[in-house]
Amino acid sequence: MSGTKPDILWAPHQVDRFVVCDSELSLYHVESTVNSELKAGSLRLSEDSAATLLSINSDTPYMKCVAWYLNYDPECLLAVGQANGRVVLTSLGQDHNSKFKDLIGKEFVPKHARQCNTLAWNPLDSNWLAAGLDKHRADFSVLIWDICSKYTPDIVPMEKVRLSAGETETTLLVTKPLYELGQNDACLSLCWLPRDQKLLLAGMHRNLAIFDLRNTSQKMFVNTKAVQGVTVDPYFHDRVASFYEGQVAIWDLRKFEKPVLTLTEQPKPLTKVAWCPTRTGLLATLTRDSNIIRLYDMQHTPTPIGDETEPTIIERSVQPCDNYIASFAWHPTSQNRMIVVTSNRTMSDFTVFERISLAWSPITSLMWACGRHLYECTEEENDNSLEKDIATKMRLRALSRYGLDTEQVWRNHVLAGNEDPQLKSLWYTLHFMKQYTEDMDQKSPGNKGSLVYAGIKSIVKSSLGMVESSRHNWSGLDKQSDIQNLNEERILALQLCGWIKKGTDVDVGPFLNSLVQEGEWERAAAVALFNLDIRRAIQILNEGASSEKGDLNLNVVAMALSGYTDEKNSLWREMCSTLRLQLNNPYLCVMFAFLTSEAGSYDGVLYENKVAVRDRVAFACKFLSDTQLNRYIEKLTNEMKEAGNLEGILLTGLTKDGVDLMESYVDRTGDVQTASYCMLQGSPLDVLKDERVQYWIENYRNLLDAWRFWHKRAEFDIHRSKLDPSSKPLAQVFVSCNFCGKSISYSCSAVPHQGRGFSQYGVSGSPTKSKVTSCPGCRKPLPRCALCLINMGTPVSSCPGGTKSDEKVDLSKDKKLAQFNNWFTWCHNCRHGGHAGHMLSWFRDHAECPVSACTCKCMQLDTTGNLVPAETVQP
Amino acid sequence: VWDKSESGDWHCTASWKTHSGSVWRVTWAHPEFGQVLASCSFDRTAAVWEEIVGESNDKLRGQSHWVKRTTLVDSRTSVTDVKFAPKHMGLMLATCSADGIVRIYEAPDVMNLSQWSLQHEISCKLSCSCISWNPSSSRAHSPMIAVGSDDSSPNAMAKVQIFEYNENTRKYAKAETLMTVTDPVHDIAFAPNLGRSFHILAIATKDVRIFTLKPVRKELTSSGGPTKFELHIVAQFDNHNSQVWRVSWNITGTVLASSGDDGCVRLWKANYMDNWKCTGILKGNGSPVNGSSQQGNSNPSLGSNIPSLQNSLNGSSAGRKHS
Repeated sequence: MSGTKPDILWAPHQVDRFVVCDSELSLYHVESTVNSELKAGSLRLSEDSAATLLSINSDTPYMKCVAWYLNYDPECLLAVGQANGRVVLTSLGQDHNSKFKDLIGKEFVPKHARQCNTLAWNPLDSNWLAAGLDKHRADFSVLIWDICSKYTPDIVPMEKVRLSAGETETTLLVTKPLYELGQNDACLSLCWLPRDQKLLLAGMHRNLAIFDLRNTSQKMFVNTKAVQGVTVDPYFHDRVASFYEGQVAIWDLRKFEKPVLTLTEQPKPLTKVAWCPTRTGLLATLTRDSNIIRLYDMQHTPTPIGDETEPTIIERSVQPCDNYIASFAWHPTSQNRMIVVTSNRTMSDFTVFERISLAWSPITSLMWACGRHLYECTEEENDNSLEKDIATKMRLRALSRYGLDTEQVWRNHVLAGNEDPQLKSLWYTLHFMKQYTEDMDQKSPGNKGSLVYAGIKSIVKSSLGMVESSRHNWSGLDKQSDIQNLNEERILALQLCGWIKKGTDVDVGPFLNSLVQEGEWERAAAVALFNLDIRRAIQILNEGASSEKGDLNLNVVAMALSGYTDEKNSLWREMCSTLRLQLNNPYLCVMFAFLTSEAGSYDGVLYENKVAVRDRVAFACKFLSDTQLNRYIEKLTNEMKEAGNLEGILLTGLTKDGVDLMESYVDRTGDVQTASYCMLQGSPLDVLKDERVQYWIENYRNLLDAWRFWHKRAEFDIHRSKLDPSSKPLAQVFVSCNFCGKSISYSCSAVPHQGRGFSQYGVSGSPTKSKVTSCPGCRKPLPRCALCLINMGTPVSSCPGGTKSDEKVDLSKDKKLAQFNNWFTWCHNCRHGGHAGHMLSWFRDHAECPVSACTCKCMQLDTTGNLVPAETVQP
Repeated sequence: VWDKSESGDWHCTASWKTHSGSVWRVTWAHPEFGQVLASCSFDRTAAVWEEIVGESNDKLRGQSHWVKRTTLVDSRTSVTDVKFAPKHMGLMLATCSADGIVRIYEAPDVMNLSQWSLQHEISCKLSCSCISWNPSSSRAHSPMIAVGSDDSSPNAMAKVQIFEYNENTRKYAKAETLMTVTDPVHDIAFAPNLGRSFHILAIATKDVRIFTLKPVRKELTSSGGPTKFELHIVAQFDNHNSQVWRVSWNITGTVLASSGDDGCVRLWKANYMDNWKCTGILKGNGSPVNGSSQQGNSNPSLGSNIPSLQNSLNGSSAGRKHS
């Protein structure tokens, strides 16, 4: 800071102020600018803070070092060490009228003038100020002053009086220090040891010395070159850092012979080293001509007993600004905050960040630790569901019972949120497949049912007889087109595509009507056209144009359609085939492609990717010959498999091919939920046994568990065992009689040892009602419930005691719960138990087992037992 | 240890001082094994903790009681990471240490957490900083563990190695080395597999990197040998503009969060074309970074902010999740 290089200091107590000193002292006030605009005249320190200049003090020339008074009052008292060795107390700000007024302007004068290198206030006795000076042959270099001392020497040298010319200046000169130390030596740095008020560590010329003011003749010292910038770790009072050239030495005062550690040498000499006051073991260092502050994170508390392990040091560097940094200062209280000043006096305020460790919770909230705070961040409620992550989507879908509607299968896509066209196609496909499988089973049991679930690809392959094509008349037009005669397989395919309804009726009318109702006029028109009914197509388009939500342009399209001519070289044909590519709606586009195509080549329709797969396949079934159709389906299937497009399930069905397709869908989206439900819907056993399918189901169950959707998971398991009987688990719990050792469900269920689940132990429906309280095997009584003391097997009666009875009403409201009340429950630890309902209400108020003299805390033994399933918490 | 109450508030229910050095990491075991934690420390040990309930009236004071079940003292140097294996492998624990050895322990009896036997020692030749189990429970994938190194020596060696368990030799063998990662690696994380046919691995080094490992189908490779992988780097982001410290996947492995020296938390997500991009930036103190609101609509909002009493220097506080 010798004139050119500024230094910077935070006020020790007024934490929003700092001082920059070079040739003068400037006091700044820091303000947050998060909520306000930058005020005129203030300097920007960082993105969210700015500094305003409060006052400038240029009373003290030749400043060499500055130290801020550590006490609360007076606030802005600073000690300035000057080039001539004098130490001047000066103030910044307004408190001239305070009781400490007489302190300001006080000077402490050494006997011989030489440069003052360092100043240090005693942290415990706030009036003590230590000054370190350059060497003088006949004088001491460490002087400790008491700023309150009233002592003035008898003889005041004349020149000093002149220097401080003025009123009563003589009383402000102090020439007698409290202590004098280090004769004939130089002092480069000083710091008080927090261990004791009277211990002073000084970096002398070629040694570090600890002076004990209780006995000034004694000092402890160690020879070293690292004597600059001695500073004590505020968190670990025996740890001291000092530096020399480019090297930092860390000392342990308990083992003072040699440094415990030296940090890697920097190529340039260091200028400042400082411990972070808000964080243990963090040391910041600055070298000359650099824009980087290097931080050393000493993670290990050094022990005095020789530990052979090297302390771990994490080295980091921060670059707060682009210019060379002149000095820096840690903020005294704000965590890891630091202000730096560059040689041209630009300042910058920044925070050194700790490693942020983070973790996701299963419900998509992110938690991280930053500084001493934990932050939790949740996903914003966002209606734009396309942006939602699949994890959130799946969780919401699980809540809306997605996949569980096995009657109206197509409704599942509505449960999924009715937003994904692929899911819509998938569930409609599955719906049709289910419908026609049942249909076929009714007609000829055990025949082709499985074929339906095998997809159109297999259906088309299975068609044996050659299909004749025949010419059909366009309705309303004088034209004929080749159309394949529909055999049974093709009709089935068309049915799966949804074009025609159940039965032998080959009429697309109902389908068109439903499309029109849903407002899909373009699609309806295209389908009508593909069925050679151009009048109907035009009519649909008109309808669309006149409806509320419809597009008026549809009228124009209808007009264009009506101008259709069969003429090969007509203007209409030419214009349509070029202009159709500019149509936005793919269905309008394919309509013209169809009309302008040559007979037998429909690539414009078949390979228009924006048209739904089911419509393209249906079109292909209508117009392509067997070989063409097979080739087309094959090609499309591979395309779908590659892309993981769920519309392709229509082609592959729930076969191995379908699993392949689903695999690439899962790879792409991670949606195991859809994969699990879809595969359970109707896959043959060998497909269900596919490792991948099992793996998806397993993953989905784990997901439900992780979300605490235990009821959903149970529901899924029930659903699964309905559709895939092989996955039904065997009974895992048996209640056996104390006397004969046989399962008490022995006689209740038809199949012994494979009881049909726990609910069967409930007695309400037992045929031997009179003997419900005894073991069906040996007729001995069942154990008694610990609470009502009635033998198990009896239905739960209303409990005595007024308070309990309304709870009972609560429980019995739900029929299922009421049944559950009759179940056996017992503690695995103390073996006491009784009716589940009684136990539940007991443990609602008690921690200990209801059996007297048993101190088992049954309910707390299972930590997860106290958790509420997440579904019930969710709205 | 923090517990979330039913009203959604977090309460610190336990905190204790045990290791004689910095605690590097804390990790939960699958709840199937009870409430079990493992911690590892600079003091060359790793410890397994279990919550005890019902013994005292701690619950009344809102505190829970944790006991140390075992201390794993095999390492001669700082233990830098500890991770429980996926639950289908049983109760297994992997540690890695600065001397470059990955140790895999197993508790043969899940009811007795004080018995852990050292099953494997894998030497990585490089000072290890982080490990990650492949969470895939598919039988098609053998157990796999990825190890990252923060060795800062200038020689450009690959810092990420992947080891795979070989059924025949009953040993872990090196299956893959990510040659392109040569800078010190601070964290590594396999994404939850969720039925995918490939694995996703995120690496925190001087930037965020995401790799996919697609196993070449077993039929094609000679049986018994290590699985071959098709390795692709699908994303590499240097937006942190500094060292990246931690990476973490959400439950489906579709969103990655990373934290870096710039004091920001960033979220990464892939679109349907498998292009990864940033969907959110937050400063460490939870305030949104200027201009990040344009980055994506899923800019997360801050839920809560809990001042913690303990000094979570290395982020070793643990929130309890129930699954």
